[in-house]
Amino acid sequence: MIEIISNVIISIGIFFLIIGVFGIYKFKDFYRRLLVSSKVDTVGAITILIGVIIRHGFSFFSAKTLLILALILILNPLTAHILLRTAYVSGHLLENEDNKKGD
Amino acid sequence: MNYFLWILVVLILLVIFRVIKGPTIWDRVLAFNLISHKFIIFIVIFASIESTTFLLDLAIIYALFGFLGEIFLIMFLADRVRGGKEE
Repeated sequence: MIEIISNVIISIGIFFLIIGVFGIYKFKDFYRRLLVSSKVDTVGAITILIGVIIRHGFSFFSAKTLLILALILILNPLTAHILLRTAYVSGHLLENEDNKKGD
Repeated sequence: MNYFLWILVVLILLVIFRVIKGPTIWDRVLAFNLISHKFIIFIVIFASIESTTFLLDLAIIYALFGFLGEIFLIMFLADRVRGGKEE
């Protein structure tokens, strides 16, 4: 029974990752791509890791998975922010009215 | 349970294609970030199938050092792309 539940939760997480990859190809501008993919990836990681934790119940395995979950929650948004800020500061123009190209 | 891994492999290949195709250098760094993120999840699911706990240490270390490597990569790129001209 637990096996089925965890499989369903992990497949939902995988579905989030698929949306993330789809987001990369759909959006044409770097900033929109980053906005979508980093958020959706973090959510996908949360769902998958919770599915793995449920699958393994109360053990060392799920304790370590919880640690990985905490790490991903901290590191992924941080990386996205640093990437975004550096790209903007070092002159990667936003695509707006006056410069249609944006690259 | 195994087909999760195959789906992840396909996703990683798709993101690798984005690394090759990405117009600007920042798209490549973003795609590299996503690859390492998916690879961590790949390790966790693989460890859950084999139910061996020492593989998870691999994922923890890979998450930390991947993050560090990316920060230094981004810092290096920031100077090189701006060409050293100060605003």
